[in-house]
Amino acid sequence: MYIQIKDVSFCYANSKENIIHQFNLDVTKGEIVSILGESGSGKSTVLRLLSGLETPLKGSITVNNEVMTDDYHFVLPEKRGVGMVFQDYALFPHMTVSENIQFGLKGHTKKEKKQRVDEVLELVNMVKYKKRYPHELSGGQQQRIALARAIAPKPSLLLLDEPFSNLDADLQIRIRNELKDIIKKTGITSIFVTHDRRDARAIADRIITMRDGAAYEWESICTTHTVDKKRLEVIK
Amino acid sequence: MKLYRKLPGYMNLWTFLSLFIVILILLPNVSILLNFFTQETSNWQHIQEYILPLLLKNTSIIILFTGILTILIGTSLAWLISAYDFPLKRFFKWGLILPLAIPPYIAAYTYNGILNYTGTIQTILRNKLDFTVNQDYFDIMTLPGAIFIFTVFLYPYVYMITRTFLANQSSSLIENARLLGGNAYTVFFRIVLPISRSAIVGGVSLVLLEVLNDYGVVKYFGIQTFSTAIFQTWFGMGDLNAAIKLSATLMFIVFSILIIEKLLRSRRRYSQTSAKVRPLSTIQLNGWQRWIAFSYCSIIFGLGFLIPFIQLIDWMLLTYRKIIEPAFVTLIGNSVFVAFVGSLIIVTFAVIIANFARMHQSFIAKTSSRITILGYSIPGAVIAVGIITVFIKIDNLLFGVYESVGMQPSLFLSTSLFMLISAYVVRFLAVGFNAIESGFDEIGSKYTEASRILGMGITKTFIKVDFPLIKGAILSGFLLSFIEILKELPLTLILRPFNFDTLSTKAFQYASNEQIQEASLASIIIIIISGIAIYIFHQVLEKGPR
Repeated sequence: MYIQIKDVSFCYANSKENIIHQFNLDVTKGEIVSILGESGSGKSTVLRLLSGLETPLKGSITVNNEVMTDDYHFVLPEKRGVGMVFQDYALFPHMTVSENIQFGLKGHTKKEKKQRVDEVLELVNMVKYKKRYPHELSGGQQQRIALARAIAPKPSLLLLDEPFSNLDADLQIRIRNELKDIIKKTGITSIFVTHDRRDARAIADRIITMRDGAAYEWESICTTHTVDKKRLEVIK
Repeated sequence: MKLYRKLPGYMNLWTFLSLFIVILILLPNVSILLNFFTQETSNWQHIQEYILPLLLKNTSIIILFTGILTILIGTSLAWLISAYDFPLKRFFKWGLILPLAIPPYIAAYTYNGILNYTGTIQTILRNKLDFTVNQDYFDIMTLPGAIFIFTVFLYPYVYMITRTFLANQSSSLIENARLLGGNAYTVFFRIVLPISRSAIVGGVSLVLLEVLNDYGVVKYFGIQTFSTAIFQTWFGMGDLNAAIKLSATLMFIVFSILIIEKLLRSRRRYSQTSAKVRPLSTIQLNGWQRWIAFSYCSIIFGLGFLIPFIQLIDWMLLTYRKIIEPAFVTLIGNSVFVAFVGSLIIVTFAVIIANFARMHQSFIAKTSSRITILGYSIPGAVIAVGIITVFIKIDNLLFGVYESVGMQPSLFLSTSLFMLISAYVVRFLAVGFNAIESGFDEIGSKYTEASRILGMGITKTFIKVDFPLIKGAILSGFLLSFIEILKELPLTLILRPFNFDTLSTKAFQYASNEQIQEASLASIIIIIISGIAIYIFHQVLEKGPR
């Protein structure tokens, strides 16, 4: 398995109940997995645990045979080589598009950095906007830059946190197809979190859902809840 | 297990520096609390028997009346300005904050200069109208006089906090009360006062802490309080031990105020849950009502700013030729130097702790930021005693080192400027910290998290991402601490090295030597610089909650 999350539990400092409880998930290399769940189900927390922004209370996380967290290890977020697209993009407001993307490129010459910036901008179709500042871009454009910034350092794993929640409905449909193409082109293993079933269906190779802080295969939910399944077919 | 797993996240420079700073800040305060339980001296027995009851009586009278009066004036003004329209209201809205620019000790000797036998009022009455007054009516150097000074120059704390609260939080409640047929009177007493309780309590506790911190007013007026008694036992009786015991007693009073404040505020929350902030719509006052509102604001503004300021300018015009000489330039140089170095250390420390605290939402991090703010509640005289005990200990420890380098004085650090600046840092770290913490709150943690995921460590992230984004907050933290240090009196008086004077100590000395007019230039410089700080602060407040 490329990514292995085993029996992970987590609890925020100001709460008594575990938001993540006995969470297990295996992901194979190159797979796009979507975590579907209502708000407050802990799905974004899974991404924070994977990226090292939070430390689990119990359990272990392994990426590409390297232990990220267990009882004896903890790899800091900056050492994990993970890419993440934030819900509100978090583009650095005091840097241009090009500087934002270069930010994560370390150990390259200036020329190589520029080349990589052009490459990823090409990929998201935003070459023209290299010199702009984030506030000079529309929501959809910002989202693409955030994606470009995340994939520029060639991360071992790409995490996307509700990437469409700030976009209007029209744009959302256009961009989610585009997003799938881009991710597939790069071949990066990806996990993305959403509350929208259509998003999940459009992008993911596999969908899992979250209930009581643990993960369930989408199919298992569908077979036990026939009503849900019917409703899904209507949506389709 | 839990802690064990979290440990790697804590292993960085920021944590170590933060804990180090927190210990530095705690040291003087803890040394006072510990020394409270040491052997009693004969002086202390004397103090306990004859002086302490008087101190407690004076302190409670001043606190009680200043508290009640500032609540009345501050809240009523806040309500008038928030709910009604009348002539010059827009001016009064910020003008009523200006009394804060005049430190109470300057106000005290200015008012004495206005009211005493040779002062402006009596001279005019005597020379122009041939009218001699009963001196008792014009004597401000009394307990009621001190209460007057504290009330008129400190009420803006209550006014500011309550007005901001009313302007931002209350509109729907108050408009509903009006729609339900409440008249002005019932709306004020049944709605406005109860809902703004936590704002009022917050404001008045700031007032009381300032009162307890004061040394200048009570010293000048000859009233015995804790600050003056601490000075007296230390310098007069030469008994540091008794001074420490007095300081500890005062510290208990401060902690009781802080605890009462917490109890009064945290029982219920009066802030709105909805994120929408709509300003309260104002009612136009008509006829005689508008002039009553106008006169009320004018009287307070006149007493709290205009009258003393004009008097000071008058004196300055009389004396500036005599005052402006090389020694005065040195004075300004000294003030600016200590304020600059102190503020620089303050913002550096504040940035380190604030960044540490926001990275970890843990008990240690929260306690660290609480401790950082602690110094601001503790009166200057107490901090001075704490700092000096610590520095004398350090000097004693380093005695051997001094000797081996061939240095003569055995007390090196405890007679240096370094000690004074350390005391400023302990007392005003909160000022810088609050500004910087709100800067961090404003940007949130998403940029920092994004940067770390992109492979930057904490320190690099700070330099490349956080620092450029909170530059403004750091600057305002620097300015606010700079101004606080500039007008500080008790710490500077106690801890300054021999022959080292600042604007504030010189102004106070002139005034104490019956040279009130000569004190005016230094006072005006302090007032103008404080006025600038208030303007900056006001701009921040006007932006409202973020």
